[in-house]
Amino acid sequence: MFLNVDKHDQNKTAIKDDSGFNLTYADVCRTIDEFKALNIPRSVVFCLCENSAGSLIGYLAFENNKQVPLLLSAGLDEGLRHNLEFMYTPSYYWIPERKEQEIKGEKLYSAYGFVLLKTEYDPYPINPKLSMLLTTSGSTGSPKLVRHKYGNLEANAENVAKVFSWTENEIGICDLPMNYTMGLNVINSHLYAGASVLMVKANLMDPDFWEFIKINEGSSFCGVPFSYEIMRRIGFDKMDLPKLHTLAEGGGKLTDKMFKWIASYAKNSGKRFCATFGTSETSARMAFLDPSLAMEKIGSIGKAIPNGELFLLDEVAGEDGSTTGELGYRGPNVTMGYALCRDDLLKDDEFCGEYHTGDIAKRDADGYYYIIGRKGRFLKLFGLRVSLDETERILKTQYPSSDFVCTGDDRHMNVFCTNEAIKDEIVPFISAKTNIHNSAFHVLWVDRIPRNEYGKVRFAELEDYLIDKKH
Amino acid sequence: MNALNEYNRIFRETFGVSEDALNEDFTFNGVAVWDSVAHMSLISSLEDAFDVMFDVDDILHYGSYFHGIEILKHYGVEF
Repeated sequence: MFLNVDKHDQNKTAIKDDSGFNLTYADVCRTIDEFKALNIPRSVVFCLCENSAGSLIGYLAFENNKQVPLLLSAGLDEGLRHNLEFMYTPSYYWIPERKEQEIKGEKLYSAYGFVLLKTEYDPYPINPKLSMLLTTSGSTGSPKLVRHKYGNLEANAENVAKVFSWTENEIGICDLPMNYTMGLNVINSHLYAGASVLMVKANLMDPDFWEFIKINEGSSFCGVPFSYEIMRRIGFDKMDLPKLHTLAEGGGKLTDKMFKWIASYAKNSGKRFCATFGTSETSARMAFLDPSLAMEKIGSIGKAIPNGELFLLDEVAGEDGSTTGELGYRGPNVTMGYALCRDDLLKDDEFCGEYHTGDIAKRDADGYYYIIGRKGRFLKLFGLRVSLDETERILKTQYPSSDFVCTGDDRHMNVFCTNEAIKDEIVPFISAKTNIHNSAFHVLWVDRIPRNEYGKVRFAELEDYLIDKKH
Repeated sequence: MNALNEYNRIFRETFGVSEDALNEDFTFNGVAVWDSVAHMSLISSLEDAFDVMFDVDDILHYGSYFHGIEILKHYGVEF
């Protein structure tokens, strides 16, 4: 079965959530078999995910039974969901019970608070290698999807479990959303090892979160940089969590100051801090920093995980023996490519085991990698990848007579807008649409967007404008 | 500075709601947009505006619009 769930100790807890469900590996196998008995044809299934046992069991069943799930957030904006539905015409939905009224369909099955609905759409041909779909920019509901192939998730689960030395005694805490590649990898790598996974809906600012992981003896945690900002603010280092042994980070770059804070906390309290790096296109993780080097290699993402290979493109040598270039990766977890429309689901493997990340990285003289910048037009706000092009598209659809350009860094997005009249509406609109807190957006009104003769935006001029504004 | 006006402004801006929404139902568990990101933003806006530094316990238990007023009073803010 998927992730060898049938080979693990069947009496052991596989999944426990903070909604009150507790499933052993036997429960997981039985539920997967119940799904199998429904004889669902191979087709695309939209899963509206939350961190709960019901949400997770559906994904496991679809993977095992060769349907093709697209994992979306249950909190995704309705309009954006409709858009995706129109484009990819899923034959089935796996959704929380409370969403049953919103989504029309015939109810076929339910388990652990989730229901399976048959939609009006017929199945259509999809590539036999295609195993799963994730969005490239979850919060904007981007129609650009990452096409995973069979073996991707399993390989990353196995190699990540190996590099973290997970055993069946581990109790993994899944606080990141399961429809987010890093959250999904926390789940897969623990289940692969026959360990237990805690699916937590409560957020890090909620005392219930800390109560739940303490009572249930969570032993490994993975956060994005913003998670650690919260933890620092709420005095995580003073908390009594004796069972929590591993603190992992992924999904964005920590500041060196924050990196040191976590590394020294881990060192002083007998825990380990593991910095990692991954992308959706590589079924999550590519790199891992040995925790014993965390204090020495501040800010590093480490080296490639087992069976993977990191390299740099267009290398430039530095004086200190380091090399800089675009980060590339080869390994069994590299996905097949993207889909921009339904027909693309027929496409074959386009990445062929090699992915160029668009991140600019430095490799030091000892062979350790550091992310130093980015080529592409996307930001990571609170750990979520947000496409600037996609955000501009959403704004232009809503306000057709205005011109927009978005820029920013991993703290804020700047929205340049040519229409002063709508200036105050933009932040509430785009924040609601993307489900990203309004403090992340800055709106700037400009007479016109500076463009060159080919219509390309002159970003340097916009940057100058920003600097003027600040002084 | 009128503390209540300032307090309400921060809530309106943090959560993108109108003043009518700020009542006894405006709680951490009852308001969908009150997530960890909004909570962090709320806490730092309040600290800036009222020149206070919250204890960890108060941050974690800052559970509602009304309860927050009581917490601020402990820090010497007069409403």
